[in-house]
Amino acid sequence: MTQSTQAGLLEPAPGSDDAGPRARVRPVGGGRRVLRALAPLPWLMPATGLILFVVIWPVVSMFLTSRQHFDSMGFDQGSAGWGNFTRLFDEPDLPGVLMRTVIWVVAVVGLTILISLGVAQMFNKQFPGRKFARWMLIAPWAASVVMTSIVFKWMLNPSNGTILVLMHDLGFMKDYNSVNWLSQQTPAFIWEIVVAIFVSVPFTTYALLAGLQAVPEDVYEACRLDGAGAVRTYWSITLPLLRPALLVAALINIMNVFNSFPIIYEMTGGGPGNQTSTTTLFMYNTQQTSIGEAAAMSVVNFGFIIVVVLLFLRASRWNSAED
Amino acid sequence: MKRRLLALTAIGVAGALSLSACSSSSTGSGSGSTGGNVTIKLLAADYGTAGTSNSTQSYWQGLADTFHKSHPNITVQVQTIAWTNWAQVATMIQDKQYPDILEGDAPQQFAADGLLYKLTDVMSANTVSNLIPVFAKQEDGTDGTAYGAPFTTSARGLFYNKKLFAAAKIANPPKTWADIQADATKIKALGGGNIGYGLPLGPEEAQGESYLWMLGNGGGYVDSTGKYAINQPANIETFNFLNTLIKSGATEPGPASTNRQQMWDAFSAGQVGMVGGSGALIPDIVKNGKLTTSDYGVVPMPGKSAPLTQTLGVHDDVVAFKQAGHADQIKQFLDFVYSDANQISFDQEYDLLPATTSASAALSAKDPVAAGFLQNVPNSVVYPSNTNWNTVLAKLKQTLGTAASDNASSVLGSLQTFATSNQ
Repeated sequence: MTQSTQAGLLEPAPGSDDAGPRARVRPVGGGRRVLRALAPLPWLMPATGLILFVVIWPVVSMFLTSRQHFDSMGFDQGSAGWGNFTRLFDEPDLPGVLMRTVIWVVAVVGLTILISLGVAQMFNKQFPGRKFARWMLIAPWAASVVMTSIVFKWMLNPSNGTILVLMHDLGFMKDYNSVNWLSQQTPAFIWEIVVAIFVSVPFTTYALLAGLQAVPEDVYEACRLDGAGAVRTYWSITLPLLRPALLVAALINIMNVFNSFPIIYEMTGGGPGNQTSTTTLFMYNTQQTSIGEAAAMSVVNFGFIIVVVLLFLRASRWNSAED
Repeated sequence: MKRRLLALTAIGVAGALSLSACSSSSTGSGSGSTGGNVTIKLLAADYGTAGTSNSTQSYWQGLADTFHKSHPNITVQVQTIAWTNWAQVATMIQDKQYPDILEGDAPQQFAADGLLYKLTDVMSANTVSNLIPVFAKQEDGTDGTAYGAPFTTSARGLFYNKKLFAAAKIANPPKTWADIQADATKIKALGGGNIGYGLPLGPEEAQGESYLWMLGNGGGYVDSTGKYAINQPANIETFNFLNTLIKSGATEPGPASTNRQQMWDAFSAGQVGMVGGSGALIPDIVKNGKLTTSDYGVVPMPGKSAPLTQTLGVHDDVVAFKQAGHADQIKQFLDFVYSDANQISFDQEYDLLPATTSASAALSAKDPVAAGFLQNVPNSVVYPSNTNWNTVLAKLKQTLGTAASDNASSVLGSLQTFATSNQ
């Protein structure tokens, strides 16, 4: 859903750019000019309509919801002013949730990209069974995230999870039912990060692999002629040329990971309490007691993601890179 | 009309009730719909497993079919939703997809939103007076009028595994908290990964397990005047005790994220020494097949210095929505549903208890296990009936488990603040 949200927000720009110059460049008299300017409209209508319907309308209604007071069955009891926001910011759990969200995004995206850079580099080399290995990598991507999370949760079950059975049989753990990682804040959150990396690596690797394959061989040849070593080549040639791919991978991952819901939801439900919640989970858990407050959290989330995307686009000078 | 009466007497299910319901329908017909056939929608919780014969869908469908035979112009359309998906019900209500009858949710919030019939509009006086009175206050809206009726009830006790108790050389089931701690420690010491006391404080039902412990120390969610007192000293002391119990390793690891069903499953598998349970645990034990009837016992929940004299009684409600205007038809159907035979067949299927006095008496006479639980129901302790209890409950489920830690008083304090500031 998020991906479509973001795609939707980016899309109108090129569309309107197209319409603008054309109308300016050809000055035609009177009504015909207007007609001509309107000519692209029928083609833009379906996309615009879709964006209005699936992006703009929910966003607007989310804002409206965050200013209303709803009872526990979801009936509108009138305006709440900024009450939902005040209550949200007064939540004792909120600072921890925000901090965890930052850790979550930075750790998952950072480690995913590091790992994927390595894996992509390996897959770019010729080796026997490469095709098979590339297919295998798709598995965590193709499998439902919910399924993956549940499988990990089962593997960590304190009485019969395979990971604990292994630890028990190897002698690292004396008795079953003596440790329950998913009920302790730090271990639970680390396992969730591991699962998030596990499901994010395939896409990132493929994005980077495509980038690597687009680097022309003659650049490397020139590099070798100049006598650059492996590290130097990687640092000065591969990475800079990989920038567009890295950018896409990082941006999409940041948005995906920030909004990621199923992993934490399935593994701990954000609990115990809200000790492993990120803002997305916190929004969901809040919704059970106050829909308006949850909507306020959504609005904050929405603002946060917009800011992140804008900062990111700016820092990486996306537009100049595209032009 | 005559033929319908004939059919009714022929079937003879709760004759008197149905007849009175029937006559009221003939006087009031036309108010609901313009004659002809009426379909009433029933939305109910699934106490079994969807898609199997154990699903509550089959119970209701059976009732609906039988009822349709005696009332050919009323069709009951049945839909059941699993407890785990229960949030779907709120979504349906918000989307104005009102059922005529809803089984599962408490009436207060719906009543405050003006969606419900008064109980007396949709249930005959005979049936209303037959309901077990202890739950009556929980059916009232803020105006003091009843808007719902208990449909099924259950009472709590402490289940203990006699095999493990024998292996750990424990002679008697526990009576006090200290007994629980001592017994649980011995069972844990048997090795093999056994759990001494199963303490499910996870989001599924943290409020129930916690309440049993609070009651053991004279605490509770509200004070004697009905005001929230979640952080009263007795409760803080209770959670401090739970904290020591957890730290000593006498419980499963991580109670705050362990759900009741997990502990019940583990108890059924013979891995748990003691667990709080209701009759609904019995089918799990039977299904698992690890414990026979003589391998486990049920005693009153221990308290700090003596067992609880009053246990926790819980119930699920039936409410009727007035949007479709089918009061008469609902009344006929509900009176049929609350007949002894239909009440008992539900409770036997799921090992729960009836909500009517006459059905309780009938069930007690033929089922000794149920009788043990049933004798506690009429004077049981029930959950608060404050208007915002639903909201507070959702918060409790999520948070209460974390009170069994080093910061019991701050967790309970913030819950108290939440409860009183969200009135």
